[in-house]
Amino acid sequence: MVARHRMAALRLLPWLALVGGLTISWLVWDYERQSARKELRARFDFALRETVSRVEQHMVAYEQMLRGVQALFATTGTMDRKAFHDYVGTLQPDANFSGVQALGIAKRVPSQLKAAHVATMRRLGFAGYEILPAGERELYAPVVQREPGIGRNRAPFGFDPWSDPVRRQAMEKARDSGMAAITGKVRLIIDSGTDAPPGFIMYLPIYAHGEMRDSVTRRRKHLVGWVYASFHVNDFMASLYGKQLPGLSLAIYDGVVPADGALLFRSADGAGRTAPALTANEYMVVAGHTWMLSMVTQPEFETGLGRDAASVIAVTGIGLSVLLALLVWLMLTGRTRALRLAAEMTEELRHMAQHDALTDLPTRALFSERLHRELARAKRHDGRFAMIFLDLDNFKPINDNFGHAVGDLLLQQVARRLQASVRVSDTIGRIGGDEFVVLLPELTGAGTALVLAEKIRQAVRHPFIVDGRKLSITCSLGVAIYPDDGADEIVLTKSADEAMYRAKESGRDSVRLAG
Amino acid sequence: MIARYLIALTLASAGSGAIGAAAPDCSRPFTLALHDHGLLYSADTDTGIDKDVADELVRRSGCKVTVGLMPRARIWQLIESGALDFSLSGIANAERDKFAAFAWYFSNKYYLLVRKDSGVRNLDDFERNDRLQLGVIRSFRYSDTANRLVDRLQAAGRLTQAGGLAPLYQTLMLDRVQGMIIEPFDYPTLEEIKIRDITAIIEFNDPPVPHGLIMSRKALPPAEQEKWRLLVNGMRVDGTLRRIFEKYFKPELAAALVNF
Repeated sequence: MVARHRMAALRLLPWLALVGGLTISWLVWDYERQSARKELRARFDFALRETVSRVEQHMVAYEQMLRGVQALFATTGTMDRKAFHDYVGTLQPDANFSGVQALGIAKRVPSQLKAAHVATMRRLGFAGYEILPAGERELYAPVVQREPGIGRNRAPFGFDPWSDPVRRQAMEKARDSGMAAITGKVRLIIDSGTDAPPGFIMYLPIYAHGEMRDSVTRRRKHLVGWVYASFHVNDFMASLYGKQLPGLSLAIYDGVVPADGALLFRSADGAGRTAPALTANEYMVVAGHTWMLSMVTQPEFETGLGRDAASVIAVTGIGLSVLLALLVWLMLTGRTRALRLAAEMTEELRHMAQHDALTDLPTRALFSERLHRELARAKRHDGRFAMIFLDLDNFKPINDNFGHAVGDLLLQQVARRLQASVRVSDTIGRIGGDEFVVLLPELTGAGTALVLAEKIRQAVRHPFIVDGRKLSITCSLGVAIYPDDGADEIVLTKSADEAMYRAKESGRDSVRLAG
Repeated sequence: MIARYLIALTLASAGSGAIGAAAPDCSRPFTLALHDHGLLYSADTDTGIDKDVADELVRRSGCKVTVGLMPRARIWQLIESGALDFSLSGIANAERDKFAAFAWYFSNKYYLLVRKDSGVRNLDDFERNDRLQLGVIRSFRYSDTANRLVDRLQAAGRLTQAGGLAPLYQTLMLDRVQGMIIEPFDYPTLEEIKIRDITAIIEFNDPPVPHGLIMSRKALPPAEQEKWRLLVNGMRVDGTLRRIFEKYFKPELAAALVNF
């Protein structure tokens, strides 16, 4: 009972090994997948932070550029046209500043000074100068200068950004805070074409020289104008310092709603990615204005680590688990299979030892064993049994004439025919070259033995076909009955042997009963 | 000369007992950065608690201090590098303690502001619901429980970062984030009916967190940090800080913030 349970438990072991192996593989695979995901997220978060930081830094750089103008006017005490022109010329705006389209001055002009202002501008040589859009307003802030004065920047002066709510919001913010402020998405005045790229403008206030500006009221009172820088967003983004990680696409929207109308910038690969692995929106505050930066991963980034350890772990894990289970199975069943093999081999050896190699009939030893058993049994039960000696007549000439191979084949056929003639319980043994012996257990009388002997004699008389040759042979048989003809092996054997010789002497091919 | 006079005045009024303590070394100009954050500082009007504290510190120290405006994340970065000397209303954590020293001047609790329609009744509700996004200001840290919530949401990709309070309120109104972490000086915006109507406030069960003058360890040697800390303590002891806070809060709340 215990042993059977133990066997059942052992049979489960390979499965346990498989399940255990697969579970560990799954755990490792899951851990790897999680950490890969974590690493991806960390890289993504880092890239987002870096991008935001680069945009902010770039904006600060432009703010510094405008502060230079502020400082210039503070030094000279006036909004001097030539000084401004020379300042921008000295800056030598290079590729680092390629984002900026123009630096300019917008002058604060209250309505009562409008006419004088226009007259002054015309006197300066800007014939046809007027404040645009036309119309009477309380306050104007016309653009009076734009540098560098080349290319598109030579567009006529006079546009009043204060009249545009988007620009005005930033101008107010700059005026009240004393700091740089940028507008929402605008179309720059210098863009004359129909498909102007999205732009924005940064304003920095200029206050009257030497006046206090430590409160909103004072700043409003002493404002004389603004210095501004106008940008195309795509140029601004193109001139960022540092390198964007590959496989990340970027979109920037004005404000907090990612509507098409608010789109300021989209990186070249930024359109139409469905189901990205990671996506994030960040609401940057740049120069007092909110931009929504939307970052999305592309396949290149997602596989950028070049690590697919999870798949390797999965495949290796499953493979190793199966191998481990197999190994356990082999170790467990190896002993059983070896024992079975040994038993089979032992049985085969025993059979070989007890049976004649040529005819596969029991040898003298096995026959003797069975005879002893039958003797003991018969003695115990007062039973009877018979022993028949059989010798083939004239077998030697067959060997001589046709060779031993044919003789052996004939012996095999004789053996088979003998076997077919006796009862299942009877034993036929080969005790010499052409000598056989038959044990007939549990007999009622000598008659039965004689009948069987006669049946054998008849069976042998039928011709044999050996190697395509028809061979005829006869046999002589001697029958001895226990206990009539002998009470032990020796006497009984002797009686049967003598009877067989008598049969030979009487002309062969016959049966004789002992006694 | 004037500076010395001011310092003497400071020490006298502080009654700090630090008799003989030297005034801060003003041999070089300093930099101090503000960040636009509710009542702490509004760039639109160039006013706020931190602006007043900065003005008072500058006055008491007698040093030349250039005050600028920067995103909070940039401020921490520059404090760490030593490029920036001071900022205000900072809170400490193990990482910041390595590069920054603090002089506390007020203390407050943190609150989770959530949209009522998010179905969130407590902090766990928020964390459990995968669809909810928390809006935070980049680089901001909070009280312990709030920090843990923020860190877990970050790992789950459920944080929306912003450079300031204004876009967070806007995105909360638009239901693009469903919650944000606020402090008492973020209340004024809350006074706006439209935000108050759609939100509820959940308190983090943490003790109040002290806020203070941030000093860059790289820029200021320990002895100088101690001198600036004495200046801040003086402002606390003589009631100057409380008076500054009373400009922006009801007297009881102002007292609760500065008496910790």
